[in-house]
Amino acid sequence: MEHEEMSLFPGLSRRDFLKTCGALAGLIGLSGPMAVPRVAEALEQLAKRPAVVWSLFQECLGCSVNLLQARKPAPANLILQQISLNYHEAVMAAAGDQAEKSFRDTVDSGQPFYYIVEGAIATTPKEAITIHGKTAADIVTDTYNKAKASGGATVCIGSCASYGNIQAAAPNPTGAKGVGDYLRQDAGIPDAVVINSPRCPGNADDTVAILLYVLVNKKVPELDSVGRPKFLFGETVHDNCERRGHFDNGEFVQVFGDEGSDKEWCLYKVGCKGPVTYAPCPKTRWNGQHGWPVTSGGPCIGCAEPDFWDKLTPFYDKAPGFHVPGDITPTQIGVGLGALTAVGIGAHFIGQAATGRLFKGGPVEGKEEEEGPKEGGK
Amino acid sequence: MTKVVIDPITRIEGHLRITCVVENGKVTDAWNTATLFRGFEIFMKNRDPKGIWQFAQRICGVCPTPHAFNSLKAVETALGVDKVPDSARLVRNMMEACQLGYDHILWFYQLNGFDYVNVPDALNAKAATPSLQAVQDQVKAVVESGQLGPFANMYWDHPGYKLTPELNLEVTAHYLQALGVQQLANDAATMLGGRYPMIHNYVPGGVTQMPSIETIEFYKSNMAQVKDFIDTVMVPDLLAVAPFYLDLATFGQGVGNFLTWGVLDEKSQDPYDRLFPRGGIFDGKLELQKVDPNQTRHFTKTSYYGDDVGAGKHPLDVGQEPIQFTQLPPIDGEQIPSGKYDWTQATRYGDQNRPMEVGPLAQMLVAYLSGRPEAKTLVDSTLAAVGHAGDPAVLVSNLGRLAARVLKAKINADNALRWADDLLANIGGGDTTVYNELDYSKEGTGMGGWDAPRGALCHYTRIKGGKIDTYAAVPPSNWNLSPRDDSGKRGPVEQALVGTPVEDPTKPLEILRTVHTFDP
Repeated sequence: MEHEEMSLFPGLSRRDFLKTCGALAGLIGLSGPMAVPRVAEALEQLAKRPAVVWSLFQECLGCSVNLLQARKPAPANLILQQISLNYHEAVMAAAGDQAEKSFRDTVDSGQPFYYIVEGAIATTPKEAITIHGKTAADIVTDTYNKAKASGGATVCIGSCASYGNIQAAAPNPTGAKGVGDYLRQDAGIPDAVVINSPRCPGNADDTVAILLYVLVNKKVPELDSVGRPKFLFGETVHDNCERRGHFDNGEFVQVFGDEGSDKEWCLYKVGCKGPVTYAPCPKTRWNGQHGWPVTSGGPCIGCAEPDFWDKLTPFYDKAPGFHVPGDITPTQIGVGLGALTAVGIGAHFIGQAATGRLFKGGPVEGKEEEEGPKEGGK
Repeated sequence: MTKVVIDPITRIEGHLRITCVVENGKVTDAWNTATLFRGFEIFMKNRDPKGIWQFAQRICGVCPTPHAFNSLKAVETALGVDKVPDSARLVRNMMEACQLGYDHILWFYQLNGFDYVNVPDALNAKAATPSLQAVQDQVKAVVESGQLGPFANMYWDHPGYKLTPELNLEVTAHYLQALGVQQLANDAATMLGGRYPMIHNYVPGGVTQMPSIETIEFYKSNMAQVKDFIDTVMVPDLLAVAPFYLDLATFGQGVGNFLTWGVLDEKSQDPYDRLFPRGGIFDGKLELQKVDPNQTRHFTKTSYYGDDVGAGKHPLDVGQEPIQFTQLPPIDGEQIPSGKYDWTQATRYGDQNRPMEVGPLAQMLVAYLSGRPEAKTLVDSTLAAVGHAGDPAVLVSNLGRLAARVLKAKINADNALRWADDLLANIGGGDTTVYNELDYSKEGTGMGGWDAPRGALCHYTRIKGGKIDTYAAVPPSNWNLSPRDDSGKRGPVEQALVGTPVEDPTKPLEILRTVHTFDP
């Protein structure tokens, strides 16, 4: 049998392929007549299998497990046909010195590569995470610099690499930090730019969308105040929640398993942090779109927000700083949203009370020059 | 003497260095070192007990569900609640069946497969079918591109690879197929739990809501497909591959002590009455022993904590402070680990401080000795098929560990639909309670004891004043990857490595095999 020409999405007709391109264009915020051809062209570049190096630091492998749940493309196609996954400790065959050789072969080659990080960086002691006798702190500094010099971007998948996440929960026993914070604060690279793709676990579709964005646009996407691409993290979970109508009607689950649970009413009163969490969960959903946290009847815990372990807990208490008309619980404006506080959350919540919509954060200082002008940045 | 260091051990969850001394073609001594520390037990203190399970499931992104279950159970028992509503039990079993359904498949193909399956050699096969031809073409394209990706730099020329090119191709095809099958189990978990990993439908006292009939039917359909894959692909692959690697039955015996807390509750919610019941085996004697999670104790003389942190104490009396970190010997050179060399505590069982092997081999042996019909039938027929009828002791080896995991996957899949059918019967009979609110003003001490896919897992907690006063998690790695205890006794993986033959110390494939049989 003649072997078929390698296709990015085997089994997809040309028509379905273009439909997929259209969907992906929508996902990364492209519109207009050139949107689909640009995505198609980028996918053809993907067929050349850009080199990817994926580091695992202080993590639980959950982000990688979710990557295995990707659909477009499916993981087998992703690994064999779209990217050259030259280093990923949980996937690669080689171990020990041979694994280290795979790492060095790519990172030291001078050829372009993309650097994906899953996991936080320990600082006290740095040796709370070592690989091949080197600390994550040293590995990430060197590899970030080499990826940048090669023309590739560094992407932080999941909340650990983005913000430190659970191991950074008070009292943060290992001084865990996100990659961007570590590079800017500890590694002497004050202008370091990484793309944060938080959520816990990191979401497979985010990973694919961000890589695609960078390939199509040849630049880092516009980021919010905590380094998240606005095209993915521009709206709150509450904004797009399918149970939003019940919130507006004052129909709440009061206790799990009650009549409201069966009728899929709003989970605000059992702790949902959707109103103060910027993430696309209700729009893109999870695991082949088979669900997202709220569809399980469990509240959103705010896992896309920095320091949510300390600032948005207890998980089953009402969201801090969010007031429901007629709800007599005293609220304290701004509590629980560290990064957003810095950009004027007080003013925001006053506005939000009127509009029911939350502020969309501005970019981090110092990124404008590097990325060029952006629309709507503050 | 030759020192062999493998750092990182790849295809695992976690971060691991293995150091071995090889003399005359065999490992004569070994040390395992976890090279990651996060400090869960420190930052889980003083938290809200109701939501603590959300912290707990982040201990492992490969197996969040059993960590979540253990945390719920620890909180529930601390507050005086021993049972949840029957429908909640069934939803939790369904979640666990999804967890086990995907996890054992992933381990067999993705994590373990490359130790036995020579992917580049698949190009030498005569492809028997168009679909095998397509897989061969995919592999060929990767090899010819010069970008080998995840296949680069493996010891593919090692003489220890024994399969025929045709079998290498076929199992490579199943490796790719398995990537799709594991999604079926996780899609079902997502319908129930909102996403996978890191689920949302658990809460102390039960689950958040009764799943819809549509969700239950979706679960049944997907888990039936998972069962079909295990029956028609994974079990046959084990039987096809094993005859080429019978030497694996001759080493990796380990410590001869086995422990499981059990998993998958029957209606009684009694740990000794589970699909995989609680139990232990001591000193290589295949006799069933009752076991108690409160007989777990930690030692820290060789761990990166103060010597007195462990000292044989119960997990709730240990904690993870003070940290006392010391550098590991360099990878190169002759120096071997001494003193403190591991972030893992040395975990031991009972008054005799036994190191215990945990995992599917322990679970299958205990289920067999407990007389569970599912395990008895399957193990007996497998033993007969390999000419060892009535001799389960032959399972105590690397090969037995491989086989046990596949057999356990089958028993899980065979029973997965039963939980759903029982839940439908409950709904039909009007038993729809899934949640009882707990009284968080109570105080007390509680524990879980519900195995993860890779072995015995128990969480312990003490609740005071509405807060988590103390929390301790003892995952399977604490057992299998124990370092030496205060008396110098090796941990189970260290002990299993001793005697492992090493054909070429620069290509320590056999060491990888022994380590990977534990699903570390």
